[in-house]
Amino acid sequence: MVDHLSLFINSVFIGNILLAYFLGMCSFIAVSKNVETATGLGFAVIFVLTVTSPVNWLIYHGLLAPGALAWAGFPDLDLSFLKYITFIAVIAAIVQAVEMIIDRYSPLLYVTLGVFLPLIAVNCAILGTSLFMVERNYTFMESVIFGAGSGTGWMLAIVSMAAIRNKLKYADCPRGLEGFGITMIVAGLMAMTFMMFSGITL
Amino acid sequence: MKWLKRIFDKSEKHFSGSGKLAKAHALFDATKTVFFHPLRRTAFIPFLRDCLDLKRYMTFVLISLVPVTIFGIYNTGYRAGLGSGVELDLLDSFLHGSYYVIPIILVSYVVGLFWEILFAGIRKHKISEGFLVTGLLFPLTLPATIPLWQVALGISFGVIIGKEVFGGTGRNILNPALTARAFVYFSYPVSMSGEIWIPNLGAVDGMSGATPLAVAAQGNQSILAALSDMGFALKNLFWGFVPGSIGETSVFCIVLGMFFLLVTRIANFRIIAGGIAGLIFTAIVFYLFGEDPGSWIKAGPLYHLFAGSFLFGITFMATDPVSAPGTNEARWIFGFLIGFFTVTIRVANPAFVEGTMLAILFMNVFAPLLDHMVVKYKVSKRIPNV
Repeated sequence: MVDHLSLFINSVFIGNILLAYFLGMCSFIAVSKNVETATGLGFAVIFVLTVTSPVNWLIYHGLLAPGALAWAGFPDLDLSFLKYITFIAVIAAIVQAVEMIIDRYSPLLYVTLGVFLPLIAVNCAILGTSLFMVERNYTFMESVIFGAGSGTGWMLAIVSMAAIRNKLKYADCPRGLEGFGITMIVAGLMAMTFMMFSGITL
Repeated sequence: MKWLKRIFDKSEKHFSGSGKLAKAHALFDATKTVFFHPLRRTAFIPFLRDCLDLKRYMTFVLISLVPVTIFGIYNTGYRAGLGSGVELDLLDSFLHGSYYVIPIILVSYVVGLFWEILFAGIRKHKISEGFLVTGLLFPLTLPATIPLWQVALGISFGVIIGKEVFGGTGRNILNPALTARAFVYFSYPVSMSGEIWIPNLGAVDGMSGATPLAVAAQGNQSILAALSDMGFALKNLFWGFVPGSIGETSVFCIVLGMFFLLVTRIANFRIIAGGIAGLIFTAIVFYLFGEDPGSWIKAGPLYHLFAGSFLFGITFMATDPVSAPGTNEARWIFGFLIGFFTVTIRVANPAFVEGTMLAILFMNVFAPLLDHMVVKYKVSKRIPNV
């Protein structure tokens, strides 16, 4: 239990998927104009991550990992080179499901998220989390916690970025830096403050 | 004062309209308002609530920094003397201290003002008095032995990336002085690390002195015993006769400044009170549940409060009206979390000895979000218009 808690804190703060690994930057920059939309996308990402990470774990350890197909009579088979394409397919399918659910229950959020909702499928944070999960040899339960933690960290970053950009409406940036330019600078400064946690071992 | 006014009135035509020096109008305006009250009312942010204009507001912060600066100069000289094996008296300590501290402050002001004037000239906004505070706060957070080019680089980063790309004072997200310090801290960790190397003044070798926060007890000794062995008893920490960054050592001088800021209502008491409460709460929690008796886990709230730069940060940095939240509830949470993260970093993060700077910057990032949440909560409590 304590291990799981520290894994969660680790993935939210210390190894923040966005500000420590810089994954999922595109939608972070694009959808952080408004706090409500950012919160909606944040929850969608948390949900997708919490589902895809364990599903991919099952597929990887049940079918793809070296020796996983021993029950079918192929003890030497190593299909792990298929993990990229499989993971992407799983993620795309689950994102489709999420899209339908949001469309059904919150049409307003569906409209505001627009094209970025299907784009969760190619959000590097999602694939990155699954690949980290394989690389770090997490157990099934850990993969659930890790997915949820990464999603929470991503949401924390995008929501605070949205609030900052709300404040930046009053800023008076040099012309070349308006919009995305200043957002990238703010993202850099945020990453610098998140270095506060680097070095903590849990 | 009449002759002074005549000089300004006479030369104004060169600086305005199609005058030869119109590009330097911001500089002219900044100099004039040192002596005379500006005629115009504030036309753009940062707005202030009362009759104080920004210049007087910032001047009050400078006044509150005077005791800290003077003591910092004295202590640097005294430490430098100890480093070379001489116990200097009051005057000599001041002279030696000035030798180290004054160049740092000068470089910070000159380089920072250069950028400030450049941006004000090109972008046609006024030179902000906020820089006078930033330019003094930044050197006070540095160790006295830092190379001057790093001071110049740091203040350039703080002024440009921390403030001017956002459009100048009142629009920035992070505290510019702390942004500058964080930049130097991460870029040149050797000259900023917890070990404050005290330069020797012509003696054979220098002395490297650990700051109180870098102390760890040996063997079965408790942290408190180790601290008092090193000469870091609570009394010394209170008066400030310990090594450390220039401005952070003396709790007494910082509290003087804090009272001045609180009485004049420049600093918001909620942030300071929240911060101290957060620090004490977290220190007690670690004290009760921590196990290692030789580390700062077991130091207890008073030592956590007096050692390091927490009081300096929470008084002069966290209360920066621009980067702190603007609603009262958010200010309490903001302060509390600064205290919480400061102790957490000190205790749990082996990479950093001191956590105040990063805790304040981290909470600066979340200040707009806290404000947003408080406003949302209040709106939801309001009786809806039928």
